[in-house]
Amino acid sequence: MYKTMAEKILSDKRGADVSTGDTVIVPVDFVFSHDGTMPLAIRQMESGLSTRKVYDPYKVAGVCDHASPSPSEKASNVHIFMRKFAKENKMPYFFENGDGICHQIVVEKFAAPWNIIIGGDSHTCTHGALGAFATGMGSTDIAAIMAYGKTWLRVPESFKIEVTGTLPKHVCSKDVILHTIGEITADGATYMSMEFLGDGVDAMSVESRLTMSNMAIEAGAVTGLCQTDSKVRAFLESHKRGQEYRTLAPDKNATYADEIVVEVEGMEPMIAYPHRVDNVAPVTQFEGVDVDQVCIGSCTNGRMEDIRIAAQILNGKKVAENTRLVVYPASRDILIRAMDEGLIKTLAEAGAAICPPGCGFCIGRTVALGDGEVALSTQNRNFKGRMGNDNAEIYLCSPATAAVSAITGKITDPRDGLRW
Amino acid sequence: MKRKGKILRIFPKDTNTDEIIAGKYKYDELDLEKLAVHTFESIDPLFYADASKTKNPLIVGATNFGCGSSREQAPQVLKTCGISCVIAESFARIFYRNCFNIGLPVIECKDMTKKVAQGDEIVVDFELGIIHNITKKEEYDFKPIPKFMQELLEAGGLMPYLRLHGGYRD
Repeated sequence: MYKTMAEKILSDKRGADVSTGDTVIVPVDFVFSHDGTMPLAIRQMESGLSTRKVYDPYKVAGVCDHASPSPSEKASNVHIFMRKFAKENKMPYFFENGDGICHQIVVEKFAAPWNIIIGGDSHTCTHGALGAFATGMGSTDIAAIMAYGKTWLRVPESFKIEVTGTLPKHVCSKDVILHTIGEITADGATYMSMEFLGDGVDAMSVESRLTMSNMAIEAGAVTGLCQTDSKVRAFLESHKRGQEYRTLAPDKNATYADEIVVEVEGMEPMIAYPHRVDNVAPVTQFEGVDVDQVCIGSCTNGRMEDIRIAAQILNGKKVAENTRLVVYPASRDILIRAMDEGLIKTLAEAGAAICPPGCGFCIGRTVALGDGEVALSTQNRNFKGRMGNDNAEIYLCSPATAAVSAITGKITDPRDGLRW
Repeated sequence: MKRKGKILRIFPKDTNTDEIIAGKYKYDELDLEKLAVHTFESIDPLFYADASKTKNPLIVGATNFGCGSSREQAPQVLKTCGISCVIAESFARIFYRNCFNIGLPVIECKDMTKKVAQGDEIVVDFELGIIHNITKKEEYDFKPIPKFMQELLEAGGLMPYLRLHGGYRD
């Protein structure tokens, strides 16, 4: 039987061939949740299972990232509740305010090929870029996994996304995934495993692939897998986890429920306009729209290459007078490396507000928009009210488009260097 | 199992979990009763008040209902508002799973938003897989609920299921 990557991982975990549509109970390699989902998971353990004990403290993590650093008494009390639970269970992996976004922490420290990773956050699909079957679940599922170390999954159908060609300058993997979601729409891959294949993906850095896998959920997918290769091996080695590398690739004749070819040669920078992620158009269609706040960061685009391209574009330039720029490195590790490379200095000199690693602007908890304001952000969702204000508008774009638009104060195509 | 009630609202396609309950509230508030006051606040400010006044309210959605965040607070606040069943043309998968986990029955019925109107009295018969529209005197079939999810529903949710079986049955 020929298998997709999702079928391979789930068969491996079951120790038997599984196929699409089967419901399987599987062991979970790593489970994590954050300050938006962990408190409810703890409550469910208490009330539903009469326990507060995790099955293996080394396989469970908690992260304070959504309301971080805590902006309110209530959020601080939520953090106290989480800390107490972690301490009681002697969990070595509890991440504090400022350590970073849960997904980036898991990418750096835990995710590996052939793993099953479950997170109490929909963007857990991110880890598919490292070859892990990773998916987001709600707090009750997280509670069950924290207690038993297992979960149930329906083996998904797969949607093949074949990316071919070489990306033009200042066109990023974010543009590729926005384009793809625009094509297949917000429910185009409902409960499917999106499998990103082709020479266009092979040519991308691991960081660029993480951006695409991160947004698989925006098309309804359960996970977003990439093949593993020497780049994944080098990525794991750079985080001192080279021994965790394993090769993952689909069988040549694997069956896909659907497929799409995305030709990136000559692709334009893309934008998702309010209030839907699948409202996708070329940036040129929205050029000139005034922007109140430009946001660079999030689990989608807060990594080294994103901050590098922003600093490269903003080097020696100033943020436009009518605009604010906020930058959130995705983790403490990235913040430190960006400082070492001088990128933070460059961005600060250009007028950016440099914020502590965390979710920040993306969910409007620690940075919120005002009435009638327009944000241009590298995050993954532009739902109404997402950034803390129902009367604001959010456009999604790549870090290159964001950085260039911060200079002009208007939505701007990053390819035309003369205009900025 | 049957659910009888009145269709309180019909929501458009891709109704997302940020709309059901905004992120700005969920990080501060663990008390579901207090959180539920903000249900659908950004798109339907009267929802909570109307749900409180209605006996056995049900809601209907078009395709991809509950897309977006994994926040379980979304089905939790609906349940807290007294919603006894959600019927949509299709559901986003994390939301769908969360509903079964907390014992909130949800069913998928093709073209549902075209068949019914706000205020219709309906009875959902889970054994027969039929929705009876008492107001319109019509019947609609719905997609059978996957076996494992049916077991969850019968147990009253994932936690009671796990208590009953002492964990997952391999």
